[in-house]
Amino acid sequence: MATPDSAEVVVIGSGICGALAARKLALRGVPVLILEAGPRIDRGRIVAAFRNSPRKGDWMSPYPYSPWAMQPQYKPKDNGYLIQAGPYPYPAEYIRVVGGTTWHWAAQAWRLVPNDVRIKSLYGVGVDWPMTYEELDPWYQEAEEILGVAGADNTGSPRKHPFPLPPVADPWSMIRFRERLAPVYPVVANTVARNSRSYDGRPACVGNNSCQPICPVNAQYLGINAVEAAEAAGVKVRADAVVYRIEADAKGRIAAVHYYDPDKTSHRVTARQFILAANGIESPKLLLMSTSSKYPNGIANSSGMVGRHLMDHPSSSLTFYADEELWLGRGPQSPSSINTMRDGAFRSQHAAYRLDFTNISQVLSVTEALIAEGVYGPEFEKQLRWRAARQCNVKNVLEVLPNPDNRITLSSEKDALGIPKPVAHYSIDDYTRRGAERSKQDFAKIAELMGGTGLRYSPDGQFANNQHITGTLRMGDDPAKFVTDGFGRAHDHENLYMCGTGVMPTAATMNSTLTAVALALRTADHMVPAKSSGADNGGAT
Amino acid sequence: MKSVNTARGKVEPVDGCATPASRPDGPIDPARRKLLAGLVTAYTASLVPWALAVPVTDAGHGAFVALSAILAGKRVLNSVLGQRLHAALVDIEPGFDADCQALLKQIEAQQIDPAKLQGALDAAHSSLAPLPRKLMRAWCLGLVGDGEATRCVAYENALDAVMVADVLKPPTYAYGPYGSWSNPPAAKGGDEHGNA
Ligand SMILES: Cc1cc2nc3c(=O)[nH]c(=O)nc-3n(C[C@H](O)[C@H](O)[C@H](O)COP(=O)(O)OP(=O)(O)OC[C@H]3O[C@@H](n4cnc5c(N)ncnc54)[C@H](O)[C@@H]3O)c2cc1C
Ligand code: SF4
Repeated sequence: MATPDSAEVVVIGSGICGALAARKLALRGVPVLILEAGPRIDRGRIVAAFRNSPRKGDWMSPYPYSPWAMQPQYKPKDNGYLIQAGPYPYPAEYIRVVGGTTWHWAAQAWRLVPNDVRIKSLYGVGVDWPMTYEELDPWYQEAEEILGVAGADNTGSPRKHPFPLPPVADPWSMIRFRERLAPVYPVVANTVARNSRSYDGRPACVGNNSCQPICPVNAQYLGINAVEAAEAAGVKVRADAVVYRIEADAKGRIAAVHYYDPDKTSHRVTARQFILAANGIESPKLLLMSTSSKYPNGIANSSGMVGRHLMDHPSSSLTFYADEELWLGRGPQSPSSINTMRDGAFRSQHAAYRLDFTNISQVLSVTEALIAEGVYGPEFEKQLRWRAARQCNVKNVLEVLPNPDNRITLSSEKDALGIPKPVAHYSIDDYTRRGAERSKQDFAKIAELMGGTGLRYSPDGQFANNQHITGTLRMGDDPAKFVTDGFGRAHDHENLYMCGTGVMPTAATMNSTLTAVALALRTADHMVPAKSSGADNGGAT
Repeated sequence: MKSVNTARGKVEPVDGCATPASRPDGPIDPARRKLLAGLVTAYTASLVPWALAVPVTDAGHGAFVALSAILAGKRVLNSVLGQRLHAALVDIEPGFDADCQALLKQIEAQQIDPAKLQGALDAAHSSLAPLPRKLMRAWCLGLVGDGEATRCVAYENALDAVMVADVLKPPTYAYGPYGSWSNPPAAKGGDEHGNA
């Protein structure tokens, strides 16, 4: 039996982008309802579940799985939710719970570099953004103040105001990388949503080294912090509400959305304005599913661009033993990068990239390797300590260009509620592969400067995925080529907005979330402009 | 900060995954107590002299303890954890004790060096070849069972964490006050553990 319901603004998805857009609107006096597919979860239980998990290397393993809100899972076996059409696999990972995927992000909170928004004009590749970097600066600043971003000014992304927090203290391993690579490479502290001192009621980092899959102490900003802040501002959040249809009226305005509860009872919710923020895969899926005689290709899809131009950041890597004890695993997981290849004239020829150093403890992988090798007796402990102290890794984070054939479509297979599963069509083109090839020079040089031995390159042509789902709702001025306008409003529906990494027209070389949050705040501001400027900026102290 | 843990990150396990089905983590019944020394040959005694005083319940448990000591090459093995791992392994595979006894017998009879054990078993296509890895996986990663049936019996006490405990905390446990990780790692024992 359907339960009618309504709000001024309905937001679909309680991830960091949806929740912070909702909060901003609520601070401006707008009644907002968030519909969230997944359940509420508890941090303490996730920490305990991780400690008890038989798969410590699988960051999904501590998170609950809800049959009504399926999410891609690959271990211990593929749950078959995200269907792979190839030619290259796209094993996306996201969490459908209140707060969304940033429950287990690494909190790298990078800005673009200015030229990222003009790669078509400057380098003849990809597409330009419908805004300048300068236009984004205040929204970045607002996002950084909410998230509590720590960083230094040497990252290549200019800013008008200082970071809210000083950079997080370097782990010893990264101090050594910085010192030893200095003649050739500047190693910079990552800009991160991780507290370098207590901030906004959350404590400073204490180095648990489990940022992925869960920060036990709330030192890293997560989507759940955004949800709690939204609720404090008056936003209502309805968990376990799986939106399965967006309904347009005769004039093309969105009239309502329909959701299932876990029992598959259908509910219809009306609103004056809507924000779709269900992430770069679930959002286009929902638009494509919402077909009608007037919209046979789905909502917001007169251009046929919904779900297309799927991008992410593939990585190849080098693992080696340094010639001194670094002991990765002391302090946070994602401390440092080399940014020198994020921009340059070479972008007309090959992909730009960031070089990323991990500080994840190597004990698990070394132990697994020693057991696999059959090393027993006193040699085991000796080798474990030697390798865990010296093993280190550098990876590239490669730009992928927008390609309409890389896309999300609907499968004929259905989930438990009868909702189509998403299909990923993905490939990694020569532009990106040339970037990967170029980065091998850097890998080799870095290993040389660190006295590296036992060099293990990831196999040629094989890439790990970084889970930055980009491009599927891309923004741009031309309604024939883009899904939303420069403010995230659907070209086809004046009261439908989209937030999340999906709206980004290109992927550039930085983890995408900070940019998506900045754009989401800008979208909310566009929907309901401030009466007096700056009244609701920041919110963190 | 509702449901947020302390800075030390202490969280009680909430589900049964860390506990094997049977839970023999109390002291061994004195009436059944034997010492490992009575169950092994001189060759095993020479490999793991420190393990000889470990109390065991029977020959099967004794073989498990002896093999564990040989494989892990660790002076002190946590005997309470050993009982839990043993119970979990037997629970999964009823023939586990018999396999342990057979492998121990083979090591003793052929005086196999632990460093060469896996190679020897693989070369002989022995049906016991998977056993050392099962034991090491249990002790070092706290894991027993395969695929979806894998269970986690230990984390903080697993040997991989214990062997580096002077330098690292297992992930989810606080390393220390903010910034303490910027200091050089103060590993105890340095050269004893060798530079390969
Ligand atoms: C392991 C890992 C590490 C990462 N590390 C970083 C990092 O360091 N830096 C970075 O920038 N990014 C990182 N990311 C990416 C980051 O998590 C995402 O960019 C971010 O979560 C996107 O936010 P979002 O709000 O758009 O989507 P999400 O966080 O995915 O939230 C979307 C929400 O919508 C809900 N939803 C979905 N479908 C429906 C529906 N039909 N009805 C109602 N609700 C629905 C979902 O349940 C979810 O709560 C990482 C990702 C992973 C997996
Ligand atoms: S290192 Fe620990 S305290 Fe710091 S952010 Fe990561 S998990 Fe949280």
